[in-house]
Amino acid sequence: MIAIIENGAGPVAEPAPIEKLKRTVSASRLNCWLQCRLKFYFRYVLKLTKPKTAALHYGSVVHLVLQQWNMTRWRRQPFEIAKLKQVFDTGWLDQGSAIDWDGEEPEQKISAWNVLEKYFTETPIKADELPEAVEVPVEADLSSHGLPVLIGVLDLVRAGGRIVDFKTAAKTPDADMALHQNGVQLDCYSVLYREATGKRESGRELHHLVKTKVPKLVITPAEPMLEYRRTRLFRLMEDYVDGLDRGDFIPAPGFGCMGCEFLHECKKYDGGRHE
Amino acid sequence: MITLEANYSKKIGLPGYSSHQFSVTLKSELSDITQAQAESARLYAVLQSSVDHNIQQVGFLPNVNGNGNGHGNGHTPPVETDAWKCSDKQRDLILKITDEHKLDKAKVEQLAQDRFGKGVKSLNKLEASGLIEELLEQTGQSKPRNQRFSPPKAGGR
Repeated sequence: MIAIIENGAGPVAEPAPIEKLKRTVSASRLNCWLQCRLKFYFRYVLKLTKPKTAALHYGSVVHLVLQQWNMTRWRRQPFEIAKLKQVFDTGWLDQGSAIDWDGEEPEQKISAWNVLEKYFTETPIKADELPEAVEVPVEADLSSHGLPVLIGVLDLVRAGGRIVDFKTAAKTPDADMALHQNGVQLDCYSVLYREATGKRESGRELHHLVKTKVPKLVITPAEPMLEYRRTRLFRLMEDYVDGLDRGDFIPAPGFGCMGCEFLHECKKYDGGRHE
Repeated sequence: MITLEANYSKKIGLPGYSSHQFSVTLKSELSDITQAQAESARLYAVLQSSVDHNIQQVGFLPNVNGNGNGHGNGHTPPVETDAWKCSDKQRDLILKITDEHKLDKAKVEQLAQDRFGKGVKSLNKLEASGLIEELLEQTGQSKPRNQRFSPPKAGGR
């Protein structure tokens, strides 16, 4: 896909999307690549957009409030639940109108605030614990390994270098499975943290806010990234770059298709042959 | 007429157990006491910048391997104390935001001290990223999470 731009100095070829995608890589792109390469193609190469889902909106607003709570501690400001509720209400309204709630918006909104209240009551993070970083974009230049620049945003780095990622979930997660399923993301964050600070993280934590009828908070701790995990991540990045070079966008039919936003496009996709 | 006198002094260690130090003093006249805080911050930034610039020329250094009978030509390379620890891109962005929005350098320095307990130039890449986010927010340029890297989009949840 080459676009020609007339700029008065002769035609200039805009880099193809594939070339752009090879320059940088993120945890979400790697996870999508692992999940299904055709899904990756629709989302990142063709850039097909879909309406925001209720679950995504729920998670975004919960993250927004948690970010504000972390920033408040970072700025040494007092904890004021009323202010956080205000952030929540405003965040819920923003972009919330285009979502197909199927009549469940009031329930979902109450549920989202309830999981946050549960979190503030049970969080292991003390009110006077100063974060090392809050919602910071970081990047790691891996060109010395022949790899793209890794980019990502860290939700929270607790004092002493504990990397925290917040999750919202419909079901109570199993600790082993949660670490397994989020391994690529946690390892990406470890690489980013180490590159940005020159230090090894002291640990990683998944904070699951579970939106069951009675909300739950599940903290899953993980050790610092081991060397073999870093090698595994780098191999995955190699595969990502090689696959993009080959235009390898084969679909991976499976259980994941049930919730895939591109199922309709997938069924119709003929590999560009238009038979 | 009110006179405000400000002094900035810095001493740094050098190889061979030596050190050097430089200080600059400035006087400024104020017509009104309410100007004191702003003028004080301005003087601090000017003095610090001036001292930091000049103190890089370390001049004569004793022979670090021997008995102190070394010799120098007054043109030794700058010491590392003035180097930024974050990436060049981050350094340029911090300077650009500060410059474009006419932010008080002393206040930016104070912000770094408050958040990280160290000066702007000593911030590592993670800390510098946090400072940049804060400066962007203060200047009304904060972006949503998924637009922090543009393009492409940021890392996932």
